[in-house]
Amino acid sequence: MQTGTKISAGAHAALIAVAVFGGAFRSEPLPFEVHEVSMISAEDYAALTAPREPAGTAPQPQEPAVPEPVAETPPDPAPTPETTPVQPEPIVAPQEPEVPDEPAPAIAPEPPAIRPVERVAPDPVEAPPEEARPDVVAQPDVTLDQGADTPQEQQQARAPEEAVDRIVTEADETATLAPLQSRRPPKVRPDRPEPAVIPAAQPDPTPAPETANAVNAALAEALAGGDPVPDAPTGPPLSAVEKDALRVAVSQCWNVGSLSSDALKTTVVVAVSMTPDGKPIADSIRMLSSSGGSDGSARDAFGAARRAIIRCGAKGFDLPAEKYGQWRDIEMTFNPERMRIK
Amino acid sequence: MIRILTGLLIGATLFAAPLAAQTGPLRIEITEGVIEPLPFAVPGFVPDTPGAADTARQLSQVIAADLTGTGLFREIPSSAFISQVTDFAAPVQYADWKAINAQALITGAVNVSDGKLTVRFRVYDVFSGAELGTGLQFAGSTDGWRRMAHKVADEVYSRITGEGGYFDSRVVFVSETGPKDDRHKRLAIMDYDGANVQYLTDSSSIVLAPRFSPTGDRVLYTSYESGFPRIYVLDVGKVQRRLLEQTEGTMSFAPRFAPDGRTVLFSLEQGGNTDLYSLDIGSGAQTRLTNAPSIETAPSFSPDGRQIVFESDRSGSPQLYVMPATGGEAQRISFGQGRYGTPVWSPRGDLVAFTKQSKGRFHIGVMRLDGSEERLLTASFLDEGPTWAPNGRVIMFARETQGAGGRASLYSVDITGRNLKQVRTPDGASDPSWSPLQK
Repeated sequence: MQTGTKISAGAHAALIAVAVFGGAFRSEPLPFEVHEVSMISAEDYAALTAPREPAGTAPQPQEPAVPEPVAETPPDPAPTPETTPVQPEPIVAPQEPEVPDEPAPAIAPEPPAIRPVERVAPDPVEAPPEEARPDVVAQPDVTLDQGADTPQEQQQARAPEEAVDRIVTEADETATLAPLQSRRPPKVRPDRPEPAVIPAAQPDPTPAPETANAVNAALAEALAGGDPVPDAPTGPPLSAVEKDALRVAVSQCWNVGSLSSDALKTTVVVAVSMTPDGKPIADSIRMLSSSGGSDGSARDAFGAARRAIIRCGAKGFDLPAEKYGQWRDIEMTFNPERMRIK
Repeated sequence: MIRILTGLLIGATLFAAPLAAQTGPLRIEITEGVIEPLPFAVPGFVPDTPGAADTARQLSQVIAADLTGTGLFREIPSSAFISQVTDFAAPVQYADWKAINAQALITGAVNVSDGKLTVRFRVYDVFSGAELGTGLQFAGSTDGWRRMAHKVADEVYSRITGEGGYFDSRVVFVSETGPKDDRHKRLAIMDYDGANVQYLTDSSSIVLAPRFSPTGDRVLYTSYESGFPRIYVLDVGKVQRRLLEQTEGTMSFAPRFAPDGRTVLFSLEQGGNTDLYSLDIGSGAQTRLTNAPSIETAPSFSPDGRQIVFESDRSGSPQLYVMPATGGEAQRISFGQGRYGTPVWSPRGDLVAFTKQSKGRFHIGVMRLDGSEERLLTASFLDEGPTWAPNGRVIMFARETQGAGGRASLYSVDITGRNLKQVRTPDGASDPSWSPLQK
């Protein structure tokens, strides 16, 4: 055996031994130290890079162990292949898959995985016009209309940017290609099995009145869609002309001639409920608030206001009946500021 | 960002406006009304005794006249009544009174027995269907039935208007007889409406400017009995007088009581100069309040007695000034064109009534204490000498017609300038002074 072969075999054996058993003797990493760098020879470098002894056996690094000289016994010879020539197998062309003659099975095969659209469009998108600018909200294009009653300000069309706040590459996309639900929902819901009929002990032919009323009320409420604001007036609102007519009608009976000077400085807010035929309900007339005078002045001012409402409403105010919901309850503010000195 | 916020604000406004319009009751504001007399009904008071029928009828008439005379009320004639009141305690048929538009109803009952008069009454707000206040009763002698009627009217007036009345009050004035070149003057006193005139002095000497005391029991006046104007104080009940101020070589006039009744302000002319003085009635001590070469006269106290408004020509023409009651710096409050005089402080303290001469005519007017909101209430050949009613709502003054046969009369007017009317007196009358309400 050649000496070189022996050395190579020994070195390989040592290398294998280190590779197998080296992990058991791996030492903890040494603390970081700073060493000066100096030029060394190739031999020194080889010695430094030689396998080390396991840590802990000796604090001082030892010289790499020199393998014992191996006896000059030739290694087992590797099996020598036979030299019989082997004929290469002929290349067989792949056969076409057989097409089944029978129809497709009743159960459709799993659909192909739904793939997202190509991230890269086959055709490039036209670049937006230069004057188009992105905006937070979409705005239509508005041009000046000379004939419009209320001309609008001219503005350019804008749209939000079609972008997200982060970029997701194809590599980062999670593969959620599997269908989330069955594509074969049952066409007919299976019949629920008939429950066993348990005869009632004493069946009640009619529900209790309270229950019936509650049910009816609930049904009525449900059908009516609920009434979130019970006191909200209903019907179309009164027009300005209709309000003015009511104001004038009350004014004609608001006699402040007998009021005191203090009462003529007092503004009172009076609430009144009306009947559907436009007549005030006398008992409903009440003073909600007053300002500018004493309690006595407010009482006198309220008296004059109440007389005005009752007198001119005795025959009914001219109010639209179809809007009764709007004027069923009225708050009238009687402000005598302009009536003080005339 | 600004566009976004503006858009949101406009959107919220447009969205909220219909919602606001559809919630709550209908709201309207009335700023224009009417000024017209309030119609009332006074059915004849029910006589509780057979001898009370005439008195009951007269009481009803005086009450109605008092209320109607204010210009604030209008009596509905009895011929329009649908129902009559024959029982004071019977419930009121509001529908019958509503039908004739009676907004106030006054019912009463009268009892006369042994020279004693008893009056009960109630006031109703017809359209409210409720009584105003509670029933009230007055009692007195049968001779005082007019005062009792005035008191009932005062109570009714107060309950309806919210202000104090002025019907149970008197007026002292100068009664004038004869032509202008031979005019005879004497002091007289009467009810506010001209009834019950009584004379306090004879016409042997000229009397001027009578002024009631705060309690109404005394009267200050100026008399030329001694040949020079002197100030006298007269006890109304006893009709006794005494000379209040006498300084040799001087003339004193234009007296006015202080609110406490113990001090008198007056003008004293000495050496051709007229200034204001105060006089303590008890001690007779005098205090000079002004010291100027001009004429200071016609002083009038504020209701709290702390200030004085008076007339002075220190600026070249008669104008109105205000100064502390103890004297000191005076501030001019009248700045309009013309001559201002005879200022009188309102019992409410908020206005000053005055006489103004401008462009050949005389006016009675009122203004605030700072000279603002001057309003001229009258205009004639000669209007002068305003005096306030106890409630500060009516002013009485003297008006004299033009010419040699011109005659002085008393008139009253509301401070709004409405309801100008003459007060009937047997003879000519001037220099009125309104008393406080009688107790």
